[in-house]
Amino acid sequence: MRVGLFVTCLVDLMRPSIGFAALKLLENAGCEVVVPDTQTCCGQPAWNSGDKPGAEALAKKTIAEFEGFDYVVVPSGSCGDHIRTEYLGMFATEPEWRDRATAMAARTYELTDFLVSVLKVEAVPGNYTGSVTYHDSCTGLRSLGIKAQPRALLAKVKGVELKEMNGCEECCGFGGTFSVKFGDVSAAIAERKCDFIHSSGAKAVAGGDLGCLLNIEGKLRRMGDETTRVLHVAEILAGEV
Amino acid sequence: MSSRDDILGRVRAGLQRNAGNAAAGREIMQAAMEGRVEGPKPAMDTAPAALLERFRIKSELQSSTVEVVAQESDVPAAVARYLAAMKLPTTAVVQPALAALEWAAAGLKVEARGARDADLVGITGCFCAVAETGTLMMCSSPDTPAAVSLLPETHVAVVRAARILPYMEDAWNLARAELGTLPRAVNFISGPSRTGDIEQTIVLGAHGPYRVHLVIVEN
Amino acid sequence: MEIKSMRFKANASASLANVVLQGNLKNAKGKFVTKRAEALRDLDDFEGTRDAAKAIRNKVIDNLDLWLERFERKALDTGAHVLWAKDGAEVCRLVTEIARKHGVKKVTKSKSMLSEEAGLNQALEAAGIQPVETDLGEYILQVDNNEPPSHIIAPAVHKSLDDVADLFHKVHGTPRKTEIPALTREAREVLRGHFMTAEMGLSGGNFLVAETGSVALVTNEGNGRMVTTMPKVHVVITGIEKVIPTLEDLSTLMRLLPRSATGQSISNYFSILTGVKKPEEHDGPEHLYFVLVDSGRADVVGGDFHEMLRCIRCGACMNHCPVYQTIGGHAYGWVYPGPMGSVLTPLYAGIENSIDLPHAATLCNQCGVVCPVGIPLPELLRKLREKQTDAGLRPLTERIGLRLWAWVAQQPTLYALGARFGVRYLKWLAGKSDRISLLPMAPEWTRGREFPAPQGKTFREMYAARRAAQ
Repeated sequence: MRVGLFVTCLVDLMRPSIGFAALKLLENAGCEVVVPDTQTCCGQPAWNSGDKPGAEALAKKTIAEFEGFDYVVVPSGSCGDHIRTEYLGMFATEPEWRDRATAMAARTYELTDFLVSVLKVEAVPGNYTGSVTYHDSCTGLRSLGIKAQPRALLAKVKGVELKEMNGCEECCGFGGTFSVKFGDVSAAIAERKCDFIHSSGAKAVAGGDLGCLLNIEGKLRRMGDETTRVLHVAEILAGEV
Repeated sequence: MSSRDDILGRVRAGLQRNAGNAAAGREIMQAAMEGRVEGPKPAMDTAPAALLERFRIKSELQSSTVEVVAQESDVPAAVARYLAAMKLPTTAVVQPALAALEWAAAGLKVEARGARDADLVGITGCFCAVAETGTLMMCSSPDTPAAVSLLPETHVAVVRAARILPYMEDAWNLARAELGTLPRAVNFISGPSRTGDIEQTIVLGAHGPYRVHLVIVEN
Repeated sequence: MEIKSMRFKANASASLANVVLQGNLKNAKGKFVTKRAEALRDLDDFEGTRDAAKAIRNKVIDNLDLWLERFERKALDTGAHVLWAKDGAEVCRLVTEIARKHGVKKVTKSKSMLSEEAGLNQALEAAGIQPVETDLGEYILQVDNNEPPSHIIAPAVHKSLDDVADLFHKVHGTPRKTEIPALTREAREVLRGHFMTAEMGLSGGNFLVAETGSVALVTNEGNGRMVTTMPKVHVVITGIEKVIPTLEDLSTLMRLLPRSATGQSISNYFSILTGVKKPEEHDGPEHLYFVLVDSGRADVVGGDFHEMLRCIRCGACMNHCPVYQTIGGHAYGWVYPGPMGSVLTPLYAGIENSIDLPHAATLCNQCGVVCPVGIPLPELLRKLREKQTDAGLRPLTERIGLRLWAWVAQQPTLYALGARFGVRYLKWLAGKSDRISLLPMAPEWTRGREFPAPQGKTFREMYAARRAAQ
């Protein structure tokens, strides 16, 4: 099984360890993983900002790079959904691209969904000792149904104690460019999320989308919380913490 | 051009209206009017006793109070007992439709007419009741003026058990069968009037009644 | 209503700084969200009911001209008058004319968002006719110097008990009361006098029923019943999109509207009003007018935002919106706040007057999930962003920045170089720290939070190095 790993532009730039964790999880489960080195961005920021031509160009580029794989795996619910759902609506007047997008969408998965639903992994390599609360990122949760998958995988890591927070499904306030266009509102929403995290009593918060994690970590630190760890679920599962 | 023609013209332009799709649209409209398709409804035990029980439970959840009596002749005494227990006046306005009951014998002073601002107690019947939500269906008419259930601080409604129907859809069908066309006002009432406009705190008695008491007649 | 949507950002910051408002918003959020969730539990099939509701609304808006004609014919048959208004100014003119014709001096009003859109109260006052808002929340706002509502269901949600206590004391000249029931009774007594003396009642319309030519009104306080029962004239002001086919459809929609709005299985009063009082009847209006209002709706039909016409104005989208929950309704600057407002305001009050609104959303889709008629609100917001960009309405720096970034992202070599430079720049900004406290290219981010430092190299570099070492 040849899997194309789309690491996402944010992971490439900010936190490569998430990319390596995803790589390890997939290889450990027996996949042949390829990371095309021409990959850049799925085009979601352009699409959500109203730049349709830019978004379409990046969609075509991504499709061309990844459509040859058996599966495309993305360690992000929001980028995964962009490829899986949004690409389909982009090419109403270009049937060839619509067909290519449709064919690839069916084989594109968010990482934890892929591990649970397709690979049906029995064990994960990570070990982590401590309490973890899980933040459900909006797009993964509401568009791809990512909810049970990361929890099922975390349950396989010996030493992880999952402490659910109230409001785990509430938005953290990141919202891509929203976080820099309306920084004050975004940070105020993040503060509510951080309060939920604190109330859970967990020593770490995990999630599946780096954008949310940067937002949450940034707010926790500004609130003076120097200890709560903010981790991508792949990092815990792979033991790359 | 009149505003009507202007507005409808732009709606038609938006829909790219032509003779063909107008005919198709009319068919859809006709099918909707004739089909009267009902949407999904919550499951319910529709045996008469179960309907009465559900209606009572749902009414109480809407903050109404409920008493069941055996027959219609028991109603005036039940109303008198309720008013006495609540320390409410024994003078009331009653919908003309219920004028024939023996109110005076129960110690009540009732006037059969439309309601006035000063009336403190209003007694009404109802066209039927809906068990799904604990709701009265009131149909206005000369014999059943609408304001009797609205202006007084206390509303007492007489409900015949046989007229408790499962769903609002059943109430529409009954109205079509018995009345033909809708009366001027159909008011579905579910408990006393209320507001939550100050700090989302629910307060009973906004502009309509502070309390609704239901007397259900079993036979 | 005056459009203040251009000042969204400033308004939002003011809301964040308003301690009373923040407390009330927190309180309101919990109640609306929890109560809705509880109320939906006793619907066995929420998804099925929602699909049915969506189909009902689509059926009408997809052939809106035919349904409007049908409704008009039925309403005329019942003895009602049907008038059409292109915009708010025409609403004001028509209502003032009706009032003059019937010698009306006072109008009692139950909630009508269309009347807010049109600024009807000001027009009536200018014509020497007294408008009295009778929904408790709307009344509170009216006597507080005509403050605009901040929520479509709970207009005074931004006010605390203390605010209302002070206000009534001042306006009514009564001893200051501090209990909510006592304040409510005080308003009841003041407004009862108005209900009994107004010659005209004015309401909105939750639905117009094509089968019967009726208007359906959903209220809890009973003020809707008052204004449609006591005065001799009743005027319904409602949008042209509010038609539904049958009474059965009304029942289906009613399973969703109160649950979505206030978490009630049914509202206290649900009134279906058809025609006028017969001579032998004791109550009810002798004259009934429908004012069917366009105000931008007709131009939405059949276009990119057609689906928005399904909206039944329940407010669930705002109750569940993280942005609305944080800043409240006033910041949105027009009649409709929250996600539905961020779509409707650009459509009805001008896309150029609401540059920020479509962007003031995280696209979390909580609104889309709770919408009882399945409106894809995030998708509509995104389309509005696209329209703004296409029309050149976004700031030039943003447009150039986006195009440049998208162009670079299509050149892998250049992109890799840019990322290498970028990550080193960020690392340099952080220095020895694990965070950046002031991000020069995005100061908005770091005003309220830190920006975590990158790990130091791009994934691409590290992966290439690893492959080379193997």
